[in-house]
Amino acid sequence: MSGKASSSSQPSIGLSGSGALSHIYIQYPPLRCSIPESRGLHYDDGTKLLIPSTSNQFVLFTQQIFSWKTVPFNPLATSTSDSIPEGPILSIRFSLDTKLIAIQRSSSEIQFWIRETSEAFSHRCRSDSENILGFFWTDCPLCDFVVVKNSGLDLFAYDSVAKSLDLVEMRKLNVCWYVYTHESRLVLLASGMQCRTFTGFQLSSAGIVRLPKFDMAMAKPEANSKPVLAAEDVYIVTVYGRIYCLQVDRVAMLLHSYRFYRDAVVQQGSLPIYSRKIAVSVVDNVLLVHQIDAKVVILYDIFADSRAPISAPLPLQSRGFPRSYSSSSRSSGKDGECSEVNNKIDHEGIIYGDNWTFIVPDLICDAIAASSSETPSVLEFLQRRKLEAIKAKQLCLGIARTVILERRPVSMVSKAIDVLVSSYSLSLKTGSYFKGIKTESTSSGVAKTSVARSSTDVSTSRIDGTSIRHESTAGVDSEYPSRASTFSASESEENASSAPLRTDSRDLQLGGGKVDRVNLTGAHSSGPTDNPVFVNISEQQDSELTSPAISPDEMYKFVFAAVEEEMVGDPSYLVSIIVEFLCSTNMEKIKVHPNLYVLAIQLLARNERYAELESFVTNKILEPSKEVALQLLESGRQNIQTRKLGLEMLRQLSLHHDYVSLLVQDGRYNEALRYARKYQVTTVRPALFLQAACSSNNSQHLAAVLRFFSDFIPDFRTTSDFTTYYGILNEMNTSVAATSF
Amino acid sequence: MGLASASTATDGMQLCIFDLRRGQNEGQELDKILFFFPADLPFSTQLSVIGLSEGLITFTRIFSPEAACEIIEAERHSHVFYEAETDIWMVMVVEKGKDSDAIWRIDALRKVLKEVHSLFVMFYGSIRAMLEKDPSGGLIRSHLYPFIMDYLSDFPVGKKLQLPSFRDCLKERGTVQMLTMGREAAIEVQSLVSVLDSCAGNSSCYSMILFHDLLVSTTLSPDDTINLFTYAVLRLSPNALSSGVNSWSYIRRGSTSSHFVSGSALTHSGPVSEQIYHSSDTSPVGNNINRVTRALQHGKWYKGKDGFLVTDIWGVDVGSLVCATPTVWLQQTEEAMYLCPYQFKSLTLILLIPVSSILNGEQGVALVKQQLLENASLKILKVEEKLSKGWGGENAYHVSGYRYLLVDGDRNISRASPPGKVTTLAKESLLALSKLRDEVDLEKSRAKRDNAGCEKDLEVSIRAKNNAWAIARITGGKELYMVLEKASETLLYASDAVEKFSNRYCNGAFSLD
Repeated sequence: MSGKASSSSQPSIGLSGSGALSHIYIQYPPLRCSIPESRGLHYDDGTKLLIPSTSNQFVLFTQQIFSWKTVPFNPLATSTSDSIPEGPILSIRFSLDTKLIAIQRSSSEIQFWIRETSEAFSHRCRSDSENILGFFWTDCPLCDFVVVKNSGLDLFAYDSVAKSLDLVEMRKLNVCWYVYTHESRLVLLASGMQCRTFTGFQLSSAGIVRLPKFDMAMAKPEANSKPVLAAEDVYIVTVYGRIYCLQVDRVAMLLHSYRFYRDAVVQQGSLPIYSRKIAVSVVDNVLLVHQIDAKVVILYDIFADSRAPISAPLPLQSRGFPRSYSSSSRSSGKDGECSEVNNKIDHEGIIYGDNWTFIVPDLICDAIAASSSETPSVLEFLQRRKLEAIKAKQLCLGIARTVILERRPVSMVSKAIDVLVSSYSLSLKTGSYFKGIKTESTSSGVAKTSVARSSTDVSTSRIDGTSIRHESTAGVDSEYPSRASTFSASESEENASSAPLRTDSRDLQLGGGKVDRVNLTGAHSSGPTDNPVFVNISEQQDSELTSPAISPDEMYKFVFAAVEEEMVGDPSYLVSIIVEFLCSTNMEKIKVHPNLYVLAIQLLARNERYAELESFVTNKILEPSKEVALQLLESGRQNIQTRKLGLEMLRQLSLHHDYVSLLVQDGRYNEALRYARKYQVTTVRPALFLQAACSSNNSQHLAAVLRFFSDFIPDFRTTSDFTTYYGILNEMNTSVAATSF
Repeated sequence: MGLASASTATDGMQLCIFDLRRGQNEGQELDKILFFFPADLPFSTQLSVIGLSEGLITFTRIFSPEAACEIIEAERHSHVFYEAETDIWMVMVVEKGKDSDAIWRIDALRKVLKEVHSLFVMFYGSIRAMLEKDPSGGLIRSHLYPFIMDYLSDFPVGKKLQLPSFRDCLKERGTVQMLTMGREAAIEVQSLVSVLDSCAGNSSCYSMILFHDLLVSTTLSPDDTINLFTYAVLRLSPNALSSGVNSWSYIRRGSTSSHFVSGSALTHSGPVSEQIYHSSDTSPVGNNINRVTRALQHGKWYKGKDGFLVTDIWGVDVGSLVCATPTVWLQQTEEAMYLCPYQFKSLTLILLIPVSSILNGEQGVALVKQQLLENASLKILKVEEKLSKGWGGENAYHVSGYRYLLVDGDRNISRASPPGKVTTLAKESLLALSKLRDEVDLEKSRAKRDNAGCEKDLEVSIRAKNNAWAIARITGGKELYMVLEKASETLLYASDAVEKFSNRYCNGAFSLD
């Protein structure tokens, strides 16, 4: 059951292709389990197993096989089966190492099944008055197994030698019902008349934390009636690593949220609900509130303070079934318990987000671009995505390109850039940005509408990896071909879904002086047979790109350089955007690639804003570097002042050889000689000086230059240069003598 | 020329503007005169000054058609020539050696002529264009007269006009003085600039930012920058606003500012001319019914509530009592622009909005101003804060032990020791440097004539009577002038000091070897 959540455009924008108007998709085709005589379906969130039971065995579907890159989704997932003793199955959970299976047989008995040896043992309640409400496995160091009873919690440790459970600790309290999620490791125990008083324990690997007792808010429908809170109305969700509890108040039609701290539970506010029946799930830290009656999903980003939904409510849809409604996708593949199973589907997605593919099609940027000045907040939102960081990143790049191409107000673009830069800076600080330059280049116009498209999402064009190195040595002009190749690669992506897989990595020296690891992934195929490889890749990517943060180099390559090519008209807009970018990077003390400066110079020169260019350079807004100096010299062909700036920069950077060569080239050979003597520059060929002096047709100068080299370079008198120019000098002198007489 | 000078002993200076194309027939000579100062000189004297000048121009043109007469050095006078526009000449006559301060650097005087003309063109367009509009010459005379009188009123010291003399040899007119700022501030400023330039939607505005009297940023062409900067320092900067009233009290004595607002036909000549120079016949007051705006009028700018500087020089809309927004002409684009200065603390922003882009006049300008306040207020605050933090005060660019002037001729930028420090120099030192500069100016113009485009490097150090060193270095279009009074030892020592200065403050630009 691989769920796929994605944002898409709004109707007015027109999602190209499918006509599907939805933010959330269930991956199609769904996982089908056609088990004859299936009697029940259980889901174990600790081990991410879907467990349908038949009369005599369990069939296990392990979902790890379906990595989130596995698209198209393979419905023929392998399953394993275990035969266990006959008997009623009220509930079933695998131990976290999947070696044991715990099966609740009755309200007082849990049976344990050791898979390796096919042995079984049982655990019973001590007194008959006790009822087992449920149980779960835990990775808490104190215990392995927790039983929730109406009289409290029993914590057990599993003794693998004795093959028995040892009671570690008991927590006595009255429990009406409980909720637990493995992701949060939090168990909430409800008690009281209305079942609205809660005690919470967190059984994490750090130990057991007891949360303070708290009451949930419940509105009263009438004076004397007291509604009772049910287990279905309480959800534990984990968003951005924070644990929240969401509680449905059916009377007030509100969804209350509580945030758990170590020593307190704080009510956070309420979201309105529009359906008598709702379900809550979280995909990639986005809260999805399924309004089941209304058949729509509303998305919230709890991180932001606003209680406003991220987007308009739209129905849940099954990807691939454009016209179908959520109900069809929910029931597909399930017999009975439709809504229950449905919850589980979402539930899976909630907790095991990596089964869910969070595709945010680039259409979202169209939607945003067309609809709002909210780009900064959308980017902020995207920058917080952890799953599918590549896509979030790519999308951010796309958005950035779009806002610039559409010439949005500078202040707005500036805010957007601020978001990206500070996110990058943060990721540097927290170390989540591995500097794995793993980027996808997409042309922003291409709509990703289908599964076929997403199968090629990972493909990256890597030509630019090498071209950086190129540029930094060869200077300025080489960026054009590299850019072009970037684009052609991304276009070919569309057709490249069956190209052979190719990985390659190389080290790349960037301006900052750090060695970056670049992982090169070609377009890859996605047939079922490639599955193992896929898993590899996705893991690799996981480890390398855990953050959608965008480095300044990537900003240059995929935003500024790309935009500059497409941009028509007055380039001053782009210049101001670059200034805003520099402003942001300067605030965060991040270094910028010299090529961005080079670009700025080109733009200013194109506009003939040489005076401003000068102030950019003298004020060091464009930091001095060889690249910058060379571009100044290049742009200086049209403007002598700019050329001087370039020369000056070379001198200040102590690039003596270049400086002397250029002086000679300008015919300022005397100055060049002085400079060469001062800084002991011996790499410029004497012939150049001699040539320059010779062309000035001044015999005195030529003689002086000859004399200089004779003194400066030992053995100069024996070189052919000396002989040649000495001859020329003699000729000059005789001709001068001839004319003067 | 002796004749002409003798009769003007009152002030020692004469300034005239004449058009060689006019008054070529006998009896119409007066037609040539577009402006004459002092205006109360008899026409015969005026004509003799102009006649001499014209004669010399015609004569020297035989040999040098492109650059005719530059100067006449007579025993007691210097005549400085400047061809402002084709065939329109400005000539300034100064008396020499009458008192100890009357020692001039000719180039500095010529820069005065150039400056006043450039400013005039910025506000009113070229003299020639105005002559073509009104061939009688009445229009141009009625504009030139108050304008130049207002301009000259910036020079008084005591009872006379104090023209740039040898004491000002560590200053360079016609250049801008820049504020040096850190990268962070510079980026902040640039960000503000892009907001300013996009204030009026699609039409491209220009902007200039000053901090105190120093230029922070400009998007104007170099020539326009100089003009507007000059004007801003004269009339708009916080210093100018606060000191405007005092510095010219002598000239203004007896006049009341209310005269100017009355809108009468007489206002253009104003009390200045009435009080001191009397109105002359060459200033045809009565011919022009339209009132003449006196762009350089003193003390007429004040800060409005919204932070924008306003003036009633350009008139007041009677109905709304809104002051008309001044307009200026850009040399480079030949475009008329609304001039909107805004001031926040020591920060002065000047926004230039194309007149053609504003359809509904004052209302449109008000809208753009509103826009500016909305979009840029925060940034202005930030920039002011940043610049104030880095501001070293009046003597920020003082380098102890040195008295210097640094000119970047390519960029029209100069920086100099603060005036207060220059005054500590001995007269001999200043005289020596002034003399040196005269020589260098000559050398420069010679080099320019001989081979245009090729830059000359130059290094001169001379020892003054008081053992001070006056030093000039020119390289790559940059000029450094310096007086070292304490480096009395040897030339080597002096040259060392220059080297140190160059490395420390000029990125080694003057370190020749």
